[in-house]
Amino acid sequence: MGNITLGRYIPLDSPIHKMDPRAKIMAMLIMLVSIFLPAGWTGYGIIFAVTALTIILAKLSFSFIWKAMKPMLFMLVFLFVINALFLKTGTPLVTVGSFVLYSDAIFQTLYIAVRLLLMVMITTCLTATTKPLDMTLGIEDLLKPFTKIHVPAHEIAMLISIALRFIPDLIEETQRIMKAQESRGVDLQEGKLTERIAAILSLIVPLFVSAFQRAEDLANAMEARGYAPGEPRTRYKVLKLAGRDYILLGCTIAVQLCMIWLAFLR
Amino acid sequence: MSISFEHVSHVYSAGTPYEYKALDDVSVTIEEGKITAVIGQTGSGKSTLVQHLNALLLPSEGTICILDRTIKAGEKPKKLKSLRKDVGLVFQFPEYQLFEETVIKDVAFGPKNFGATEEEAMAKAREALTLVGLGQDTFEKSPLELSGGQKRRAAIAGILAMNPSVLVLDEPTAGLDPLGTIQMMELFHSLNKKYQKTILIVTHDMEQVFSHCDNVVVVENGKIRMHAPVSEFFRDSSLCREMNILPPALIRMKDLLVQYGFEVPQEVQDIDGLAKVIARQVKHHG
Repeated sequence: MGNITLGRYIPLDSPIHKMDPRAKIMAMLIMLVSIFLPAGWTGYGIIFAVTALTIILAKLSFSFIWKAMKPMLFMLVFLFVINALFLKTGTPLVTVGSFVLYSDAIFQTLYIAVRLLLMVMITTCLTATTKPLDMTLGIEDLLKPFTKIHVPAHEIAMLISIALRFIPDLIEETQRIMKAQESRGVDLQEGKLTERIAAILSLIVPLFVSAFQRAEDLANAMEARGYAPGEPRTRYKVLKLAGRDYILLGCTIAVQLCMIWLAFLR
Repeated sequence: MSISFEHVSHVYSAGTPYEYKALDDVSVTIEEGKITAVIGQTGSGKSTLVQHLNALLLPSEGTICILDRTIKAGEKPKKLKSLRKDVGLVFQFPEYQLFEETVIKDVAFGPKNFGATEEEAMAKAREALTLVGLGQDTFEKSPLELSGGQKRRAAIAGILAMNPSVLVLDEPTAGLDPLGTIQMMELFHSLNKKYQKTILIVTHDMEQVFSHCDNVVVVENGKIRMHAPVSEFFRDSSLCREMNILPPALIRMKDLLVQYGFEVPQEVQDIDGLAKVIARQVKHHG
């Protein structure tokens, strides 16, 4: 469980790491929208090139991206099977008995695989280069305009930052409890159904108990320090857009326009 | 039949930027039927070391022989379950592992996992709970209703009910009140004396090491700094001072007495003996 790569922050020193989280979040959103414009393979080529450049600039390795992609492979295989069974358009390629594999089944799966890969690449560019706390600051700022229509921007940001803050703790706690129960003879991999249910219960119950305990402790600690949601507060870290942030935004908007143009040409 | 580590290393998150070598070429043999204290600073590798004993962690390098089994680096260990039955590991703050509706059911969980029938498991649970000093009235309570100290006892009973021949305890008295601590240590002591169980205790409390343990293993930066009998380790305070450990009160007292001109023989290792020495010498002068 310690080797989950998707969404993990990688502490490195790169220009991308130094960028303003607000600019990076906006850039990510724009790029994600670009993926869903029907710009064809040329479009995907451009997005891939731009994202790959960002990854290189961020000093991230492609094997890291590949590791983040791995959990998606199962989904893709599943998707391919469904497509192969039900998509009957395009040219027939292979015939096995009464089953015919059509070219569109492969194309459709490939299409989704590429989109998925691009999405993982783009989101990884954001999450691997932005500290979770900076990310929530960015989200809070970006949500600020919506407070006019009663969106609790600060509360949402606080919620996210607390949730993020507890992920490593809960992973550690889970591993600890797993080890403790394994010492009592629990086998999480094998066993009869009833045994496995008991095994999972022995993991989940203590995890819930300790999670609630932690939540209560945190709430008390926050209250003891005078935290009240909705009060006006100053910030220790003030975000400021710099030249590189404008460059990033400019580039992504350029990609976006390019995609729209390609979509029109088709 | 012995417990020995031969050139054991353990690396966490190998091949990632978070790679960390917690154990570095450790070779040590733990005496059977004795109580061995494992001491060392936070992050020195004590917990990593003891988690190898029931194969929760596997060595990255080296070999571990435990009872009649061998665990080699890079090999998938066989008979894991029977090893875990024979080596009972009690984690730090074990009260967090309680999960059943009643205390007795929770204690019976271990034996049941190792193949005991419902009745056998319940009988073992009753025995273990009595051993740790929890009364009949607590058996049917929910673990959440118990006090902190009682929870700890129930959790330890959960391991004892498996009747392991080696008992490994990771800071079993952390967070207990002084009386609870003394009772807990006396329990381990009697388990060792009455049932000849091999016991390993990870601890920071030198008083416990001094008065209850037979041997000391000092872990420092993932290496074994020292392995010696307790009597030798605390013969005088010089070894402790060398390793930045505060010696037990009795040893510090002996130091002070020597400083003020008393003659204290080295073999004096308890309060009674020390009191006699002082009394004799004071009388002599008076």
